[in-house]
Amino acid sequence: MNVELIDIHKHFGSVRANSGIDLKILPGTIHGILGENGAGKSTLMKVLAGFIPKTRGTILLDGSEVGYSSPEGALRHGIGMLYQDPLDFPPLSVLENFMAGQVRGATMGTEVHRARLLELCTGLGFKLDPDVPAGRLTVGERQQLELARLLSSGARVLILDEPTTGISGLQKEVLFSALKSIARGGRSIVLVSHKLEDIEALCDEITVLREGIVTGTMERPFSTQALLSMMFGSEPSPAIRSGHEPGAQALYLDNVSAPGGRAGLAECTVHVSRGEVIGLAGLEGSGQEVFLRIAAGLIRPHRGRVHVGRRDMTGRGYHAFQSLGVAFQPASRLEEGLIRGLTVTEHCALGEGGGQFMVQWDTAEQDARDKIRKFQVAGTPDSPVESLSGGNQQRLLLAFLPEEPELLLLENPTRGLDLESVHWVWDHLDAHASRGAAIVFSSSELDEILMVADRVLVFFDGHIIKDERPEDTDALALGRAIAGKM
Amino acid sequence: MALETALTLTVVLGFTTLVLLLAGAPPLESYRQIVKGSLGSWGKVTHVIKVWIPLTLAACGLLYTFRIGLWNIGVEGQVMVGAVLTTYVLRTGSDGQHGQYLLAAALLAGMAGGALWAVMAGYLKTRGGVHEIFAGLGLNFVAQGLVLWLIFGPWKQPGIASMSGTETFAEHLWMPYLEGLRISPAALGMTLTSVVLTAYMLRATRFGLYLKAIGSNEKAAFLFGLRPQATMILAMVCAGGFAGLAGSFQVAGVYHRLIPAISSGYGYLALLVVMLSGFSVWVSPLVAFFFACLNVGSIQLPMVLQLDSSLSGVIQGTLVMAALAMHAMRARSRKGGGPDAGG
Amino acid sequence: MKKAIALVLTVFLVTALVQSVAGTARAAAKPYTFGLLLVGPYNDRGYSQAHYEGGQYVEKTVPGARMIYIDKVNPADRPGITIPQLVDDMVEKGARLVIANSDDMKDGIREAARQHPDIHFVHVSGDDVLTGKAPKNLVNTFGRMEYGKMMAGFVAALTTRTGKIGYLGPLINEETRRLAGSAYLGARYAWEKVLKKNPKDLTFQVTWIGFWFNIPGVTADPTQVAQNFYNTGFDVVISGIDTTEAVTVAKQKAKEGKQAWAIPYDYVGACEGGSSVCLGVPYFNWGPGYSGLVKKSMTGPWKSEWTWLGPDWQDINNHRTTNVGFMEGDALAPGVKKELKTFIRDLGSKKVQLFKGPLRYQDGTVFLREGEVATDKQVWYMPKLLEGMQGAGSAK
Repeated sequence: MNVELIDIHKHFGSVRANSGIDLKILPGTIHGILGENGAGKSTLMKVLAGFIPKTRGTILLDGSEVGYSSPEGALRHGIGMLYQDPLDFPPLSVLENFMAGQVRGATMGTEVHRARLLELCTGLGFKLDPDVPAGRLTVGERQQLELARLLSSGARVLILDEPTTGISGLQKEVLFSALKSIARGGRSIVLVSHKLEDIEALCDEITVLREGIVTGTMERPFSTQALLSMMFGSEPSPAIRSGHEPGAQALYLDNVSAPGGRAGLAECTVHVSRGEVIGLAGLEGSGQEVFLRIAAGLIRPHRGRVHVGRRDMTGRGYHAFQSLGVAFQPASRLEEGLIRGLTVTEHCALGEGGGQFMVQWDTAEQDARDKIRKFQVAGTPDSPVESLSGGNQQRLLLAFLPEEPELLLLENPTRGLDLESVHWVWDHLDAHASRGAAIVFSSSELDEILMVADRVLVFFDGHIIKDERPEDTDALALGRAIAGKM
Repeated sequence: MALETALTLTVVLGFTTLVLLLAGAPPLESYRQIVKGSLGSWGKVTHVIKVWIPLTLAACGLLYTFRIGLWNIGVEGQVMVGAVLTTYVLRTGSDGQHGQYLLAAALLAGMAGGALWAVMAGYLKTRGGVHEIFAGLGLNFVAQGLVLWLIFGPWKQPGIASMSGTETFAEHLWMPYLEGLRISPAALGMTLTSVVLTAYMLRATRFGLYLKAIGSNEKAAFLFGLRPQATMILAMVCAGGFAGLAGSFQVAGVYHRLIPAISSGYGYLALLVVMLSGFSVWVSPLVAFFFACLNVGSIQLPMVLQLDSSLSGVIQGTLVMAALAMHAMRARSRKGGGPDAGG
Repeated sequence: MKKAIALVLTVFLVTALVQSVAGTARAAAKPYTFGLLLVGPYNDRGYSQAHYEGGQYVEKTVPGARMIYIDKVNPADRPGITIPQLVDDMVEKGARLVIANSDDMKDGIREAARQHPDIHFVHVSGDDVLTGKAPKNLVNTFGRMEYGKMMAGFVAALTTRTGKIGYLGPLINEETRRLAGSAYLGARYAWEKVLKKNPKDLTFQVTWIGFWFNIPGVTADPTQVAQNFYNTGFDVVISGIDTTEAVTVAKQKAKEGKQAWAIPYDYVGACEGGSSVCLGVPYFNWGPGYSGLVKKSMTGPWKSEWTWLGPDWQDINNHRTTNVGFMEGDALAPGVKKELKTFIRDLGSKKVQLFKGPLRYQDGTVFLREGEVATDKQVWYMPKLLEGMQGAGSAK
C-alpha cells in the first residue's frame, strides 16, 4: 500500500511537535524515521496510527484521502502500530492476547487462532508458547506477539516505535529478519528509532526529522556522516572513557540473596570502590535490578550483609541509605523517577531540605531555573514533567541527584536517549566519579558499558557470571556471557 | 476546571429534569420551587448556610485525603464520632457554668474524635493493608452502631427508650446564634477559616506539596525521600479533624442533641462535592452551596407540589449517578491526547 | 477562571429574586393557612394519615381554612432538615397556626414557637404546658386513646385461644407505657370479668422496636417482631406503632393455616385489606379537635393550654364529634361484638373504671390504692408498666 503524508501539523498548545511534514512510504519497503529525542518522530507516527488527531494535513492511502480518529480505525485501513511498551493483558495467555481484538462473536474457535498464531510464528521465526501468560514474556517476546497479532488483524503498514529498546541482541536479530521477510511479502514497515546502526542495517530509505520538520531523506547506500548532520545539525563528539583510580570501599555486598524480578539474586558478593564506574549487563530481569535495589536499601536481602562505605546497613531502609549519600535512579522515569502532575519547580521544592513548614517557592523556582540551565532541559520551571520529552526527563532526573553523592545507582540511565544526550549524561556522571563517587549502572547497550565502565558485571539468571575490566573483554564475549555461554 | 464543573452541573440538571418528567412533575415549576425554597429569603439562605457548614467542612477534610490519593469513604463515620465526643463533653455541663469553655472543649473533642476515627482507617491501610474504602465503610458501620447504642443505651433520656435522640442540652450549651438569623457566627467563621486554611495548607506548605507528590506518584515520592505512610496518616488526621468538627456543629449548633442520623449523610455528599468540583479548594465551597440549596429547597416539592416525597431521594440518587458519570468521562478525556514522552 | 461557576450561580440567584417578587405579587384573597408537620408519610394508613385527614376535614368544614403540610418529618427520612426550618418555611407561606404531630418534635417545635411568638403552635402529644416549658403561644393537645386501647385489649382477650397477647410497642416513654397499660387493663378486665378466668393465666407481652415506625438499621424490624409473636404461641398482636406490619404478618400467618389476629393502631382505615384477621382498630379522629383549634386560632383568644380530648360516648365512631374511636374489624366474632358494646357503654357511664385501685406496677410497688381513681396526670405520666405485663417497662 502507498502511504503519503502531506503537510502534517500537530500542535500541543503552543508546542509544535510536527510542523508541515511530508512523507511517502512505498509498499514492500522498510522506511526509517530518524531523529533525536523530541524531534517529533513519535508524534508523527501516532498521528498516522490514529492514536492522536492531527492538527492539520492530509493522509493519502493508495492515493485517496482517509480520515480516522482511533487506532481501531487506522487498523481497519490497514495501518497498525507497535508501541514502545506493547499494550497487552499480562494475566491472559499468549493465545488469548493474540485473539483479543480479532474475535467478533463467539463462533470463531480457539483452535483456528492457535493454528494461525503458530503458522505466523513459524513464518517469522518466533518461538512463542501460546499457553503461557503474557505477563511472563520478555519485552522482546511481547513485541513478537503484538507483531503477530497486528499481521493477523490485516495490517499492511506496520509502524514500529523504537523496537530495539530493551530487547536482547538475539531477539533483535530475530526481529530484523522477521521485518525483512514481512517487507518482502509486500507490506510496508516504518521503523522509528534514534539508533543509527539499527536504521542503517535495516532500512531501504531514511527520513530524518529535527524539531518537527523533515531535514532530509536518503536511500541506500547511507552516509553516516550525512545522516548525523541531518539529525543534529552538527556532528557530536565521542566520549572519552573515564579510567578512574579505585579508592576506598564504597559498597560491599557479602553473599547476598534476595527475591524479586524474574530470577532474583543469589549469593552475590561484590566490592565497589570509590571512584569506580561499574556497568551491569544482562538480559532484563537477570538480577541487575535486584542488585541495584539492594544496594539502595529498597529491597531487604533475606540472606547476606550490605555495607555502604564501612558501615553495615543490612536491614536498614532506603532513607537511611540516602542519608549516607546513596542515590538511586529507576529506569522507568515517569513511573518511579518523576512525579506526573508536578512541575519542575515543585520537584525542586520536594528536594529542598525539610524542616521548614512553608515551601520556599522563590528558592525552588530559582533552583528550577538553575537546573534547567545547567542540565539543558528544554522546558520551563512551570512545565509539568510529563510534558517534557524522554531525554529532557532524563536530564531532569540527573539534575535531582544529590550534589555530592557517595554512591550512584542508576538503572538504564541513558535508555531512549540519542547519542548526543548519552555523551552529555556521561560527561556529567564522570564529574561525580572524578570527585570520588562510585557509580553502578545497568544498561542494555553493551557499547555504552564498554565505553564508560571501569568494570563490567554480567548477570545471568540471578548470578554474576562475569566480572571483568572492559579492556580485557569485548562485545562478543559479553554477548555470549549474557546469553549464559561462558 | 471551573468550566468542567459548570458542565457537570448542567448534566446533573439535565438528568434531574429527565427524572422529574418521568415522575410526571413539572420540571420548571419544580426548579422554581427549589430555587425559591433555598434562596427566596434571608431566612432560607440561613438554612442553606446551616447545611453548607458541615458539608464544606467535610469537603475541606476530604481535599487532604484526595490530594494524597486516598478514598476516605470513612468521612461519614468521622462526622459521627466527632458528634459523639462533642455530645460526651456537653453532657458533663448541666450546671450552667462556663458554657463557652465547655463548648470550645466540645469542638476540640469532636475534632479529636473524627481524627481518631480517621487514623484507625489510616493504620488499617498502611499497617494492615486494608484498602481505605473497605476500612472506611467498616468504620462507618461501627460508628453508626456506636451512635445507636449510645442513644438507646447509656445516653437515653431518663425513663425513655427512643431512637429519637438524647436529651436536648441546656440552652447555654448551644452555639450562640445571631439574633433573628439562625446561624452561629462562630461556626460560619470557623468554616470560612477552614476553607482558607486548607487552601493555604495545600498551596503554600511543605505538607501540601508532599500530599500532592505522594498522591501523584507514591513510589517516586518515596525515592525523593518522602515518607508516604506517615504522610497518609497525617492527611487522615486532617480529614478526620474537619469531619469531626462538622459533627460537632451538627450537635452543638443544629440539633443540640445526638440523634441517630446526626451526620445527615453529609460525609457521603461531601465526597460528591469534592469530586464534582474537580478537587479544587475554591470550587468545593460553591458546589457545597449548590447541594445545600438543593437539600433545603427540595423540601418544597412535597410541600407545594405534593410530589411524593420519595422523589427527592430519587433526585439525589440521580445526582450521584450523573456526577460519577461526568467524573469517569473527565478521567477518560484526560488520558487521551497530550504530548508524548518519546521523540 | 471561575467565570462559568459564577455565571451559573448568578443565574440561580437572579431567578430566585424574580421568583420571590412574582410570588408576593400573586397573593390575593387571603385564606387562613395552617401548617401540619407529619412525622410519617401522609398516606401511611396509620398515625400520620389520621392527622392528614383531620387537616382535610378542617379545610372542608372551616370556611377559609387552608392546609399546608409536610410529611416524613424525621431525621432519617429528611437528613439535615430541622423543625424550626420547616416552621420558618410554613410561616413564610402564610401559616398562622402550625401543628406538629409527633412527640419527637417536642424540642424543635418549642424552639420554633419561641422564634415566632405571633404564630400559634400546637404540639400534639406533648406536655410542655404541664411541665411549664411551653411559651405562651404553644398548646398541647391529645386524644384519650386510653379508651381505644382498652377496647383493643378487651377484644384481644376475648378472641385469643392461647391466652397470649403480644403488644408491638414503639419506643418507651410515658405515652407508650400509658397506652400499653390501657390495652392490658382492657384485656385483663375481659379475661377476669367476662371470661371469668384467672388473670395469672393471661400472658401480655410488650416488645418495643425503638421508634414509631420501622427505620431500617435503626429500629428493630416490626415485621420480625410480629413474626416472633405468632411463632411463639401468641395469636393476637396489638400494634402500638404507626404502621400496619402486624396486620400484614397476621394475614400471612392465617394463610399458612395458623390462627392469627391483629389490631392495628391510629387510623380508621387501618383494617382495610386485612379484614380476615383484623379485630378492629382504635383510632384518632382529629377532624373535630383540629377544627376547634383552627377556629380558636382564627378568632382568638389563643392561650397556652393542655387539652386531652375524649371520645363521644354517644357514638364513638361519629366522625363529626368524636376524637377517639374504635372501628370494629370483620374478624370480630358476633359474641365479642356484643360484649364490646356493653363494655363501651360501661366505660362511657364510668360504671367501669379501669385506672382504679388496687393497681400495682410491674415491680410490685403500688400505683393506686384500693378504690383510688387515677387523676389525668397520674395516667399521663405513667412511670412503669403494670403488674401482670411482661416486657421492659422503662429504659434503665
